[in-house]
Amino acid sequence: MSNDFDDELRRALKSVDPGEEFARRVVAQIANDAARSRRSRPLRYQWLSAAAAASVVLGFLITHDRQARREQQGLAARNQLLQALRVTGEKLELAYRVVNDETQSTTSNNPGA
Amino acid sequence: MNQDELCATDDSLSRALAGEQAGFTALVRRHQRLVYSLALRMLSDRHKAEDLAQDVFLQLHRSLASIESDAHLSFWLRKVTVNRAIDRLRREPTQETVSLEEGAAIASEADNGDPLLQRRLRELVGALPPAPRAVVVLRYQEDLDPVEIARTLSMSINTVKSHLKRSLASLREQVGPTAAIDPEVRAVSLVSSATKHGSTR
Repeated sequence: MSNDFDDELRRALKSVDPGEEFARRVVAQIANDAARSRRSRPLRYQWLSAAAAASVVLGFLITHDRQARREQQGLAARNQLLQALRVTGEKLELAYRVVNDETQSTTSNNPGA
Repeated sequence: MNQDELCATDDSLSRALAGEQAGFTALVRRHQRLVYSLALRMLSDRHKAEDLAQDVFLQLHRSLASIESDAHLSFWLRKVTVNRAIDRLRREPTQETVSLEEGAAIASEADNGDPLLQRRLRELVGALPPAPRAVVVLRYQEDLDPVEIARTLSMSINTVKSHLKRSLASLREQVGPTAAIDPEVRAVSLVSSATKHGSTR
């Protein structure tokens, strides 16, 4: 009884062929997919080119901005240095005058010296 | 010539792997019966089965480079087909049954045995939940042992055995002892079942 049942079940679930046309339909479907992917590829490359161009422009802008900032910092440092030199010059001039005045007054107070 | 002999003598896999279109077509022809039958027994619908079988072969075309041998190819096809069918059954949980025309077409392919009982069995297998149905189909259509079924479905062997035992008990119970003996009782049961399905469609 069990073997009969198993045999009937095997026969009931016997494999079935989908027909001669099946393989042709599968291959046609694959060809369609390939054609669709070929058509969509240029668009993909366009996106890639646009992204590459945008990256180059962005890189240029970033480099330019950094350089401009560095130049500004250099100019500011140069101005500070000039200012410092000017102040130092003025101080030295003042000190020279003080020393010079003191020397002249000592000479006039002791003419025989 | 059985499947193993075909595998041993056919070089369609190596031709397909070399990028030869005719090789892939031969590969489809060689395995279409396996894939389509699994899909049909799982989905109980010829159109859905053909769609699923086509999808499986499209996936195979994309994954061909990962196929190592003919044995691996058969394993891969069974696994992908059954898993896709289970996914589809879970997404669309309506219980499909084989229509009268489809049943007649399938029954006409049976070379011996009792076509009425076989049709009833197909209906009952089609009404099993997806996982037990896959186990029964792989056991009785593909003639796989529980170890191979467990590998294909990524299940434990105990789960496979449990599904098999319960499903067979359920099928035997629903077919009934009298139906297995008396063709007239079976015919009456089949007609009433067909009428019921016809009225629900």
